[in-house]
Amino acid sequence: MHIVVLAKVVPDYEVPARDFELQQFRAHSRYTRMLGLYDENAIETGVQLKEKYNAKLSILSYGKEDDIPILRKAVAMGGDSLILVSGISDDPYVIASNLKMAIASLGEIDLVLAGQQSADMDRGVVPGILAQMLEYPFIPRIRKIEIMGEDWKVEQQHESGSRELAFSGKGVLSITSIPENVPRIPAVRAIFAAKKKPVEKLSGISGIAMNIDEISVEVPKMESICEFLPVTDMRETAKILLSRLREERYL
Amino acid sequence: MKTLIIETIDPKRIGELATAALALGAESDILAIGTGDIPGQFNKAFQTDEKVAVNLVPSIAQLIRDEGYELILLSATTVGSEIAGATAACVGAALISEVIAIGDDHTVIRPLYGGKAVGRYKITQFPVVLTIRRKYFEPAVLTGVTASIPLLSAEGPGIRLIADRPQQSEGVPLEDAAVIVSGGRGVGSLENFSLLKEMADCLGGAVGASRGAVDEGWASPTQQVGQTGSIVAPSVYVAVGISGASQHLAGIANAKCVVAINKDEEANIFNRARFGLVCDYKAIVPVLTEVLREER
Amino acid sequence: MGRIPYWNISHGWIIDLTSIPIMMFFIYGLYRHWVRIRQGKVRIRSDWRNVPGKIGPVFVHALFFRGILGVRIYKKIYTGIAHGLLFWGMVLLFIGTLLTFLNVLFGIPVFSGGFNRWFMSFTLDAAGLGALAGLIFLYLRRLFPPKRLTEPVERRGFVPVVSLLGLILLSGFVIHALRISQTRPDQGAFIGNWLAGFFNMGASGLIWHRDLWWIHGLAALGFIGYLPFSPMVHIFLAPVNAALADPMPGTKMGVIDFSTFDDETQEIPTLGTARLSDFTRKRLLDFDTCLWCGRCHEVCPAAQTGKPLSPKGVITALAETLNSGDIRDNTLIEKIGAEAIFCCTTCAACMEACPVCINQPKSILKFRQHLVMERSEIPELMGKANNSLEQRQHPFFGAGSGSRDWRKGLQIPLFQAGQTEYLLWIGCAVTYEERAQKIARDMVRILESAGLSYGILEEARCTGDPAKQMGNEFLFNEIAQKNIEEFTEQGINKIITLCPHCYNSFTRHYKLLGAAYEVIPHSVLIDSLIADGRLQIAAGDQSVCYHDPCYLGRRNNIIDAPRRVIRAVGRLMEMPRHGRDSFCCGGGGGNYWAEETGVRINQTRAQEALGVGSDRIAVACPFCLLMLTDGCKKYTDVQKAFDIAELVADQLIQKGKT
Repeated sequence: MHIVVLAKVVPDYEVPARDFELQQFRAHSRYTRMLGLYDENAIETGVQLKEKYNAKLSILSYGKEDDIPILRKAVAMGGDSLILVSGISDDPYVIASNLKMAIASLGEIDLVLAGQQSADMDRGVVPGILAQMLEYPFIPRIRKIEIMGEDWKVEQQHESGSRELAFSGKGVLSITSIPENVPRIPAVRAIFAAKKKPVEKLSGISGIAMNIDEISVEVPKMESICEFLPVTDMRETAKILLSRLREERYL
Repeated sequence: MKTLIIETIDPKRIGELATAALALGAESDILAIGTGDIPGQFNKAFQTDEKVAVNLVPSIAQLIRDEGYELILLSATTVGSEIAGATAACVGAALISEVIAIGDDHTVIRPLYGGKAVGRYKITQFPVVLTIRRKYFEPAVLTGVTASIPLLSAEGPGIRLIADRPQQSEGVPLEDAAVIVSGGRGVGSLENFSLLKEMADCLGGAVGASRGAVDEGWASPTQQVGQTGSIVAPSVYVAVGISGASQHLAGIANAKCVVAINKDEEANIFNRARFGLVCDYKAIVPVLTEVLREER
Repeated sequence: MGRIPYWNISHGWIIDLTSIPIMMFFIYGLYRHWVRIRQGKVRIRSDWRNVPGKIGPVFVHALFFRGILGVRIYKKIYTGIAHGLLFWGMVLLFIGTLLTFLNVLFGIPVFSGGFNRWFMSFTLDAAGLGALAGLIFLYLRRLFPPKRLTEPVERRGFVPVVSLLGLILLSGFVIHALRISQTRPDQGAFIGNWLAGFFNMGASGLIWHRDLWWIHGLAALGFIGYLPFSPMVHIFLAPVNAALADPMPGTKMGVIDFSTFDDETQEIPTLGTARLSDFTRKRLLDFDTCLWCGRCHEVCPAAQTGKPLSPKGVITALAETLNSGDIRDNTLIEKIGAEAIFCCTTCAACMEACPVCINQPKSILKFRQHLVMERSEIPELMGKANNSLEQRQHPFFGAGSGSRDWRKGLQIPLFQAGQTEYLLWIGCAVTYEERAQKIARDMVRILESAGLSYGILEEARCTGDPAKQMGNEFLFNEIAQKNIEEFTEQGINKIITLCPHCYNSFTRHYKLLGAAYEVIPHSVLIDSLIADGRLQIAAGDQSVCYHDPCYLGRRNNIIDAPRRVIRAVGRLMEMPRHGRDSFCCGGGGGNYWAEETGVRINQTRAQEALGVGSDRIAVACPFCLLMLTDGCKKYTDVQKAFDIAELVADQLIQKGKT
């Protein structure tokens, strides 16, 4: 069995809002770079499947060569190999075509996993587009994956609960975070072993971008005058708050 | 612009998409997923009772080609995600997800970097698929119903639904609540969440939670409010022990009045709140509950 | 005329002869201990400390004071005195017996004159009495034990051996009395002479004497032979352990050299420990020496707040495994419990309390290293802190502050290579935690007022110490190496730290990585600045109690300097547990990021501090500040905990500035 996990290196997603600045419509280059949060959940899911079903796990990323040291963490977590497609596009179609090209070079694969959405663009669309290009079904927001006879059985999170789905053949699944897929800390041995594992570098293709003009990207000003109520006498405070809420028709 | 709304049979969700369509200057047809009457007046209303939206992608792509739709609107939900990417790729449409506002001249606005930034994009290519974030558009009032045309089904991937486990939420669902009392890590324990529930009950509201509280196991994932939880738009949102990380604020961007209760006066939540109380929530929340009970 | 050895005894040489196989048995018993301990790894001492007072591997001062005099035993005064009476009494009696042997073999005149009167008679009588009194006290304790002797486990094997010793002592006195009653009073033997009055038995007295003599002799030999197989072996193991245990306070974890890992040909050694065979011989000696006395359990903040961890529990579990001979058993961690292993705050109070110089935290941390670095097991919050440290070089995930927030609006000089004297090292806690940021701002005011040449690094940094405390030595190494490179580039020699963890890391661990700096904790610096007159402090009348941070006080012996500073700003009050006996705030060992079960450690300490009734609580560590601030919230709304720098800055008299 061969499972591919998509991983993206993004700027630090925990930069506090008041510290956040942009540089040419993208996050400032001074922020540390790291694997996206959902991507790590996907990698962890992939490693668990690898351990359970004795599968081969490939880590696939589209991005810069500079990010290879960060991607090695994915290998140290349990990946068997790393494939980097070089490219700098943000367009989801271009990214998807590049990923498709890389997957084609891997031969027979069974499953493609990805994080629910990236921690920078927050779109969550690339896996669906990629799935269509590969002619596999795309199922988003997966919590658990297991084999049931000849099929895959997956548990999907939705707005009012969860549900179980089954399908046969291959698929592209995006992973949501649950306590069971908290990404593991790589063992030191694995970190050293990962340094020796092969990194395949592929040149990116130009692909066909969709025609959408990016007009601007800005940090919105958070202007809100907060009225601090006195907190010496709690009963008084409670009464004041409730009466203000009623006065202003919120309640 | 020929427009198609694809949505489950939920008046609020359909209403929001209708408003978005209108903002782009379009009247829309609808593909309703589910059984029952389709609310609202639409030129054409298609219907399918398919349970797994992924299976519909080929059929929807066919419909788009047959009818020549240029604008396709979905909500940014699980169902929407199941359809949006694959369908766009199938018909060669542009795709913009998580739209929170519509500007002039076919521009749409969507958040990036966990809500810390917003981007403006101009649509220059058709067809285009948009997924619209919940609660950012006022749902249009839908009067009457439209008779439906069954959707011609093309062969899909055949994903089977084995089981559905709706979360049993007591009381008012988060989505519809006019008042939400929400707890974060600052609440401190599962037991303490009951203080919030008591207050919410007195206000006829629902209890929400930040990702931190859900991670701790004090609330269920369906109670999570935030960028990766539910987007809510109550009249009053009481944030208890919530620091106000941008991912959480993304979930309450359209809350009308935010009341923040936090021991830390420098917490980011106060930058978003209308009213702030810098104190231990245990000192004020039970008192509020008590005062509310007295006033009944 | 003095005593005649073997009076009334015929064939006394049988005892002498029997002593030979007994001695062989005794030596065999000790040898068995050596066989157990030898199974451990031989440590390659790359961090050999050559200090004065050390002969080879032996720390002479520690051997004498801790091993032989056993000063730590007296921390519990009654037990200490009882033990002292028993031990020194037996030592004297042993000397007496030895002298008797010498008299028999070589005719050395011990039984004549003043020596006989004052030593052989008076002193030995007193010694016997003292030993008996001590023995009875300790025996009663075993019957009505304090909790520490029974929790979490109780040692078996004391009652038989104690009873045997009691028999020996009592029979010894009776024999003594019988002989005197049959011959004449011994000058100086005040007890023997007095007891003799009860034993006027005529001829049957001779038979009693003889029989008891043999019983006494054989019992004594039996005791000696049995000694190495009983808990009494601590008579030998304790001094040995004390002699080999580096008395420098702290756990002395050392550093791991990861460069061998890159070498393809070498097999990567196990990181941390999972089996007994992974421990060094010194650690196995620790487990073998343990008395199961429970003093460590009593002072452990985790054990005393209902956590699954007990240092006694850990060491005794290891001792039992060692005893059973199963050195390849790799279920040790399961037996002790991973949860317990992560509860340790590394405060080292257990080490401080241990009368036989065991290094408990080192063994616990070794297990932790194995869990984290080999098995990738770590509690969730600690894991997040570890991830954050790896990804963004600080452990404070979810912090609402950016790295420069603490100095927003302030002009703080950057360290200029070749020009600035001191690097002011801020540390991660002070940079990212809002409550702690004031420490840095106030310290800057103090340094400005004193006119010191100082500068900060542009980029916010962490020493990497939290990784080390959580068991991730690899991450610590990575971070430390980066810092060392930067310091070398900038020519940094002198560092002011605001956090004792940073201080400890620089002085202990960075040194082992080959980087030696002159490091000054801020409380010590402030003290010297006041003493030099470079800081003017307005006198204050507020009362301030001081919480000794574990990493400053107990682990690095910095106890007086912060107190002098506090006396300069107000009135010093002491907490019940202070100085080297300070009780941890609960934030060490990575437990700042922990989901605590049981009673909270920080609330326990906060309660103790508030109980003193002082106006303020002073600390000298940002973690202590954060933990105690949080702990106090349970009991009061008033802000009580302050850092020393804050207290000083409040009362700083600026020279001609506003």
